[in-house]
Amino acid sequence: MPDKVRIRITVNGTRHDLLTEPRTLLADLLRNDLALAGTHLGCEQGVCGACTVLVDDVATRSCLVFAAQLDGASVRTVESLAGADGTLHPIQQAFTQEHGLQCGFCTPGMLMGACELLERVPEPDREDVEEALGGNLCRCTGYQNIVRSVCTAGRLMSEQQQSEQSGVRA
Amino acid sequence: MSIVEEPVTGTRRWVGQSVARKEDPKLLTGRAGYIGDVVLPGMLYGAVLKSPHAHAKIVSIDTSEAEALPGVVVVLTGAAAAELVDPMPAFCAEPVEQRAIAVDRVRYPGEAVAAVAATDRYTAEDACAKIRVEYELLPALVDPVAAMEPSATRVHETLDSNVVFHRSLDWGDVDGDLARAHTVVRAKARWHRMGAHPIETAGAVASWDPYGQSMTMYSNSNFINFLPWAFAGILRVSTNRLRMIPCTVGGSFGSKHLITKVVSITGALSKACGRPVQYLEDRTDNVAANDNVGCDRIYDAELALAEDGEMLGLVLRIIDDYGAYFQFAHGQHGNAVAQPVGPYRIGSLRYDVSCVLTNKVQQGFFRGAGADPGNFILERLVDKAALEMGIDRVELRRRNFIQPDQFPYKIPTGNIYDSGDYEAVLDRALEIAGLDRWREEQERLRAEGRYLGIGLASCQERSGYNASEWWFLYGDEAPLPATSTPESCKIDVDAMGGVRATIGCPLWGNSPETVVGQVVAEEFGIDPSSVSVAYADSTSGAISAGPGGSRVTIMLSGATRGAARTVKDKMIRVAAHAMEMDPEDVECVDGVFRAKGAPGTSMTMAEVGMRAHLFNDGTEGAESSGLVAVHTYDHPYFTPPTADRSDLGAFYPMVSHACHIPIVEVDPETGHVELRAYYVVNDCGTVMNPALVEGQVIGGIVQGIGAALMEEYRYGDADGKLETPTLREYLLPSMHEVPEIVLEHLETPSPFTEYGVKGAGEGGRLVAPTAIASAVDDALRPLGVWVDELPMTPERVVGMVADAQERR
Amino acid sequence: MKPAPFEYAAPRDLDEALDVLAEHGDDARVLAGGQSLVRMMNARQVSPAVVVDINRVRGLDALGVTNDNGSSTLSLGALVRQRTSELSGDVAAHAPLLAEAGAQVAHAPVRARGTVVGSVAFADPSAELPAALLALDGLVKVRSRAAERTVAADDFFTGPFRTSLAPDEMVVGVEVPVTAGRSGSAFVELTRRQGDLPVCGAAAVVGLGDDGRVAQARVALCGAHQRPVRLPAVESAVVGADDPSAFTEAAARAADGLDPIPSCHGSADFRRHLARVLTARALRTAVARATSPKETTHA
Repeated sequence: MPDKVRIRITVNGTRHDLLTEPRTLLADLLRNDLALAGTHLGCEQGVCGACTVLVDDVATRSCLVFAAQLDGASVRTVESLAGADGTLHPIQQAFTQEHGLQCGFCTPGMLMGACELLERVPEPDREDVEEALGGNLCRCTGYQNIVRSVCTAGRLMSEQQQSEQSGVRA
Repeated sequence: MSIVEEPVTGTRRWVGQSVARKEDPKLLTGRAGYIGDVVLPGMLYGAVLKSPHAHAKIVSIDTSEAEALPGVVVVLTGAAAAELVDPMPAFCAEPVEQRAIAVDRVRYPGEAVAAVAATDRYTAEDACAKIRVEYELLPALVDPVAAMEPSATRVHETLDSNVVFHRSLDWGDVDGDLARAHTVVRAKARWHRMGAHPIETAGAVASWDPYGQSMTMYSNSNFINFLPWAFAGILRVSTNRLRMIPCTVGGSFGSKHLITKVVSITGALSKACGRPVQYLEDRTDNVAANDNVGCDRIYDAELALAEDGEMLGLVLRIIDDYGAYFQFAHGQHGNAVAQPVGPYRIGSLRYDVSCVLTNKVQQGFFRGAGADPGNFILERLVDKAALEMGIDRVELRRRNFIQPDQFPYKIPTGNIYDSGDYEAVLDRALEIAGLDRWREEQERLRAEGRYLGIGLASCQERSGYNASEWWFLYGDEAPLPATSTPESCKIDVDAMGGVRATIGCPLWGNSPETVVGQVVAEEFGIDPSSVSVAYADSTSGAISAGPGGSRVTIMLSGATRGAARTVKDKMIRVAAHAMEMDPEDVECVDGVFRAKGAPGTSMTMAEVGMRAHLFNDGTEGAESSGLVAVHTYDHPYFTPPTADRSDLGAFYPMVSHACHIPIVEVDPETGHVELRAYYVVNDCGTVMNPALVEGQVIGGIVQGIGAALMEEYRYGDADGKLETPTLREYLLPSMHEVPEIVLEHLETPSPFTEYGVKGAGEGGRLVAPTAIASAVDDALRPLGVWVDELPMTPERVVGMVADAQERR
Repeated sequence: MKPAPFEYAAPRDLDEALDVLAEHGDDARVLAGGQSLVRMMNARQVSPAVVVDINRVRGLDALGVTNDNGSSTLSLGALVRQRTSELSGDVAAHAPLLAEAGAQVAHAPVRARGTVVGSVAFADPSAELPAALLALDGLVKVRSRAAERTVAADDFFTGPFRTSLAPDEMVVGVEVPVTAGRSGSAFVELTRRQGDLPVCGAAAVVGLGDDGRVAQARVALCGAHQRPVRLPAVESAVVGADDPSAFTEAAARAADGLDPIPSCHGSADFRRHLARVLTARALRTAVARATSPKETTHA
């Protein structure tokens, strides 16, 4: 067996210092070594996007990246979104409000892709959503409500930000 | 049958509302517990070596190198697995044996030839790569028509022919109708093989206890509370020592009803090493070998019409390519005869079906389950009749619709349609589509040399199947003539008044928790968010057929309402006893038990709960302690088939209906089809939860877009190798292919079901393919194109244009 | 679907990377964006003994225009991401074809990791970027421990997933000559599903003379042959043309001599048909854009 590779990686704000086989895919490191099962593998070919996570704030298919490549990187997964007290992130709130999910298997990938988009484009339109999430497959919803969810999330986040700002001013 | 008396919808508080989905928080946060998330102490990981060949003898298998790899615990060949598990249960009458791991011979590309359990999946795959298999190739049967030839190589030597099943049945005077018809329209059509392909593959975690000879099996199978004994049979475990535990399922669309191969392989690996083993199909396992394939049909059909366009009789001759095995018998044809005549008054039907075996993965079930190509061929015939007879396609449909006063309506095969108002649906669809505006746009674009098309289809969605559809096309030889398709719900109210429901169906991507919450809330007048819902494992006795055939909301409503009413009635008696009143005078309103019409003395849910749990005071009329009820709801309206099958009985009587109007633009040079707009009016009876129904319908339409344009299994003509083994070749629609879909509902409640609900799970996919086909040939009408094959890939569209030009 | 074991090397500079290649040759594969390589490794279609991850190699991410003796060159280093190239002002200004083709590659998250050079080195006969590079008369910059050489794109692609790269060499960048004058370009493709590899795609670059007629043309196809391919016969046939019907006529020869690789997405015959249709469209659009530079719609 080839030598293991040491990586220092931050996942959802927690620092890890790990030895990993070079061939371990990021998705498997998250699921098996770090017990973060929210990242799902749908095709292991980069086609479905279910395994999308953020690597240094960029939406990335975790089935097409070796963990060994990520020494020094910061990774965010679906587990980073909701609060420990059960408060859903506005993106998650929007998905439930607009019924943007059914079986939920593609949903973590959709949420993380949406997360990246909303950090770049605060109030996206349909075209923005299609560009960001067009490579994420969903077999249940027919996508219409996913697009709506992401657009709604943008509005919810802007509203939240505004109310926070006005709160600061007051 | 009993007709259910229902109050008008407006008087209900929770049924009919877009109540927030209970399932969402766990799904949104990555903690739903799919099969891949199940980790047991000491668990090993499985992988499967698949045959690259379509048809071959297995000459030898050498597993020694694989076994020598560090971390490899078990390597099982088919022969070794046969020592541990039995063949898969067969629902067919014919002698077609199927094992999860092939023994001696492989019959389709992707069939398992060995399985491995190792300390991790990577190592298990390393081991698979080191197994040496020597094959002796046999001729690969790819074309079903060629496979029917008596001289063709047989897929199974136990059969005399690859035509494993043939039956022709007439209902009504078919020959008479053909003879007296003014016009007989004939259409041939090809519906290619497609697969469900949920984003989550099938999987299982098996844990064999060699001391207790018992098995615990986690899986994403649906039938754990319906046919657990069938799994026990495969696994050679006593039925009362098998515990099957459901997981949240990442989509099924019919593909995960049984998943016997996965359960069998996982169970065999666990038995071989006495440790827990997880085996998840990877995508290539799923595409190549899961039983998720729908119909693969060649139609030769005729529709007989009178001079005024009255439809008289229908002839459907079908060759259906079933692939290499026949585990589920002629499933998908029992289904098709639930609604072969669509929404039309057609008096006679000839149904002639030949099921052919070839070297492809066997058919399973996929959303639509046989009624999908049925709708395709029927609506193609109607469009063709309109063209040939010079009658407007809308008018021709109107003239033949079953009328609202004709329900319940018995179709020639014997199935019953419960209710409907098809013309109202059609009218509303034409209205929201703004047909005139699109016709103008079509004219304008044609002047520019562009091809816009307006599609139209009016189709049925039969819902709520009875198990008789699995076997009634057989005669006496039917191996398991079952007639029950139950659904169960247990409701208990605890001492503090908390309500918990436990249901027998798993979470398949639909919303059973939400529906149960709505029904319980409706019955008790409490908030649905206060109801907790749990999933039963197979030891609960909560027999449930689960989702499938668009049944689960119908059946769960019945099961839940039954259990809720039993518990509520007891609570009324307990409260009445405590309040020293007659139970007849007590009612439950907003979760409070009080005197009818005189809200003075009352008891809360908690007060009644505590009383029922701890205060059986032994006086006369006191109730036994506890508040729990299990209700098993049977099919609401089933009648058995006659012995001669001249009447198949009522087996699929809750019939929804929809009209779809898609607008497409076609590029005849490249064959590209773009959907510009999509309009739908849907009638699925009482809408339980509008947001959820909309989700089901739109999701189904998008799968129908896939069926119309993209999705197809392809096997090499010469070698039978699978050319579409991943989602790079087998194409699912993406966000880019989907137009804005405008959807409205009309409601004609079912008289047979609780609240009047009908099914809505499959309708989108049942209608969209044929609607889009009609849109494409409407677009290409100036070029003389007639669509008779799905999916309409770019190459097929260009070919159809070229053929039409040649004919001219 | 998991990759076979391999040794992992993560060199910090180019010499170190070239040393690994010199040592392992055919047993090593260079990993840049990994959007194709890792997929194939997962499916065990390739199982290199050594993976050379060049993502930490300094100096490979440059994108810019250089002037030398009056001629300008746009160059992209081996770590320039497809998304960066697609959104780059320099690429838009000097090689709009590269941006247009690039925007049709897969999906934004894939392009964010995938590199332009990686796509060129991978040499998928169906991929957009190799065909675009051909139509742009691009050059491939190649290094080994021993030598450095520049290969014309047309000489670089030798077959399906095959190039003239030696086992110890790697592509360190691509260059595109920047041309002056009235020119236009277009990349058109047919995909089964947006973001998939095209069944067939056509890239055209045309230059107009003072008379408004086509003075130079370069046309290349993907998905239509064993490798991305230039169409010299079509190119010479359109020189002097100024009428859209002339482009269709010239494009009728687009499939002459081509040997397309059939797949489940299109037979060889269908790909030949598309070669003709898409070549005509690419030419019409390129000429329309050269004629009125604001023209952006497809013909």
